Amino acid sequence: MERQLFFSGNEAIAHGAVRAGAGFACGYPGTPSTEIIEATAGLRGIHSEWCVNEKVALETAVGASLAGVRTLVTMKHVGLNVAADPFMTLSLTGVNAGLVVISADDPGMHSSQNEQDNRNYARFAKIPMLEPSDSQEAYDFVAEAFALSEEFDTPVMLRTTTRISHGRGQVLPRVPVEVLPRDYARDISKYVMVPQYARQRNRLVLERLEKLRRRAEESPLNVLEAGSSDFGIIASGIAYSYAREAFPKAWFLKLGMSHPLPYAKVTRLYEHVSRVAVVEELDPFFEEQVRALGLPVVGKAAIPADGELDQETIFRALEPYVLRKPPRRRRPVLPPAPRLADPPKPAPGLPVRPPVLCPGCSHRSVFASLRKQKLAPMGDIGCYTLGALPPLLAMDSCLCMGASVGMMAGFNKALGKKAAVGVIGDSTFFHSGITALIDAFYNEVEGMLVILDNRTTAMTGHQGHPGTGLHPDRAQGPTVDIQKLCEGIGVRCVTVDANDHKALDAAVKAEAKAPGLGVIVALAPCVLMTRQVAGEVCVDEERCNLCGLCVDIGCPAIAPGEESIEILDSCTGCGLCVEVCKRKALTLEPKGGGA
Amino acid sequence: MSATTTVSLVGVGGQGILLGAAVLAETASLAGLEVKASEVKGMAQRGGSVLSTVRFGEHVWSPVSPHADVVIATELLEGIRGLGLLGPRGTMVCAATTRITPGSVLRREEDYPDDLTGAAALRGVRLIALDAEGLAREAGTLRAVNVALLGAASAVLPFSEEDWRRGLEAAVPAKILDVNLRAFELGRAAVATQEVES
Repeated sequence: MERQLFFSGNEAIAHGAVRAGAGFACGYPGTPSTEIIEATAGLRGIHSEWCVNEKVALETAVGASLAGVRTLVTMKHVGLNVAADPFMTLSLTGVNAGLVVISADDPGMHSSQNEQDNRNYARFAKIPMLEPSDSQEAYDFVAEAFALSEEFDTPVMLRTTTRISHGRGQVLPRVPVEVLPRDYARDISKYVMVPQYARQRNRLVLERLEKLRRRAEESPLNVLEAGSSDFGIIASGIAYSYAREAFPKAWFLKLGMSHPLPYAKVTRLYEHVSRVAVVEELDPFFEEQVRALGLPVVGKAAIPADGELDQETIFRALEPYVLRKPPRRRRPVLPPAPRLADPPKPAPGLPVRPPVLCPGCSHRSVFASLRKQKLAPMGDIGCYTLGALPPLLAMDSCLCMGASVGMMAGFNKALGKKAAVGVIGDSTFFHSGITALIDAFYNEVEGMLVILDNRTTAMTGHQGHPGTGLHPDRAQGPTVDIQKLCEGIGVRCVTVDANDHKALDAAVKAEAKAPGLGVIVALAPCVLMTRQVAGEVCVDEERCNLCGLCVDIGCPAIAPGEESIEILDSCTGCGLCVEVCKRKALTLEPKGGGA
Repeated sequence: MSATTTVSLVGVGGQGILLGAAVLAETASLAGLEVKASEVKGMAQRGGSVLSTVRFGEHVWSPVSPHADVVIATELLEGIRGLGLLGPRGTMVCAATTRITPGSVLRREEDYPDDLTGAAALRGVRLIALDAEGLAREAGTLRAVNVALLGAASAVLPFSEEDWRRGLEAAVPAKILDVNLRAFELGRAAVATQEVES
């Protein structure tokens, strides 16, 4: 017989993750979550790292998941506030290899500034949540969470509280889970959350939630436990353990998979007992949902809505209700699956007109250089996100502001090489890329970050940022030098004129081959601000064979004509098309040149 | 028309849709009506389709509507697309000579549609098609296509010339007011001519 181990919940989660085939674990320390990463760090077969904060930790985890490695990311309840930006949109993109988010809550605030109930986050993000009630379940549920994550293409929240994380109990080890490798496959409409793709994914999220609810109905994690009294209790996590001790004869609906709520299982409890209580710490999370079914229930009117519970408090709170006359039996009303909005019907036969990168936009030349290196571009949010759309298809992911850096880091860490490159704008870098770059340096990531510095927050209409020093009233304030900032962190950094295609090519090529971490600042002010016309592109109609290479750079100023390419009036003479033409059919006449 | 009139302005990012909507909103407001307006910015600015809606009447509740009484289109393809907003008694005012070719057409994956007249007739929509580009150029700047179209649309909207002049003064920067006043007049006159001809 296997030796039983005596584990804290956090140790059990760490061992459970290795048993479930997880190869990557990261997080930011925070009580009561900290010991999970400390434990994985001592285990074989799993890479562990501390990240600079919870947001970067989750983004790193997403990168590792995309690369095909089952990944665990840990944080305390308030840490999920920091990670909420990637967390909410990760629900839409889903995962590649399983991704489990540990949220360790702290009812009673033993070591926290608030006692928010993070079960609300699972509901908010429409993702499944598992809640272990002891160390064995903490160990077992990790594998369940990874399986759910991959089956339903969703991050899964595993929520503990202080008494689960820091409580100890016996754990019987189980046979390791056989995990098949999952290759990374580029899927722009799944991982690049520009509005047109995010709308499609959001519908899938709503449909997924109903499928998950059906799973919660069948799941052995949600158990209806028979009792011998006319009293039933709905509970999860540590509150279940307390209530079980307080009321040994009661019926129980024990929720191990506690979101989405299995409505039918709840109503089945009411077929056996005439009095039902919900026992839960903090918010009336289950209680409100049970009430919405039209079922009478005792909850926060008796059970404290703040602090920790214990068996004594629960017994005293509910004893009067057990003796009281049962409430009138009512028929439950199961809410129907929500309707989805009618999908937009594009006018038949009319070409769509998605937004595009402007003629002369320097981002286009960066994408052209990156394309030659065959790296997966982890993207970010700004005008350059448009590079993900046809015909450029130059971006593999866009999760949230600043996510490019952490995702690049996690992706490369998981594969052990420079497989991905981060692409981020100047304003987005200031928003939340800096912390992630510090993290990548600290964690010794093999990687490249390209900062598209067009000297403005272009997408929203040319607002200032710390790099330009401009204030809303256009007053000039002090500026931050991006290259010096990167070098101050300790990261190798070069600045290249983004309009100098050859220099950019060379810099990208050199950095792709160099070991360690490097930043390229591709500098060129937004063409909409400069409105500079550098020259005129002339077409040699004899040489042009309409091969389409120049059309593929997605410039709105290039149109295939009947015999040859035509250059439209909106051309700024950036010359990128001249560079890509293999037949030398295009030439750039500098402005005023030749005259 | 119902008690609330809905005018939608459609075109391509960068064509002055928002300024056109601002002129109309000011005009209706100065005429003593309640006005609500809505526009979608952000992504739409970079050469994508843009839609701006202005609603006015004695009392207006919603700032948006899936249907419009009048659509003002600063570009031909967007005009044809905008027909979908109009009911049978609606009016389309379209810059019929302005074509901004979308990427998929440039790449020859799709065709640019031509037949605005036929499509409008099919829907039973009144069509005011004009060479707004020509009128704007005549006024002094190509950028005044939006205001030339407003001049044409003024034929079917319940405001006096004085209302419109005050609306233009309120919404258009002083530097470019004169050229826009001219464009408005040319647009208004163009429709008057069309009416006489038909």
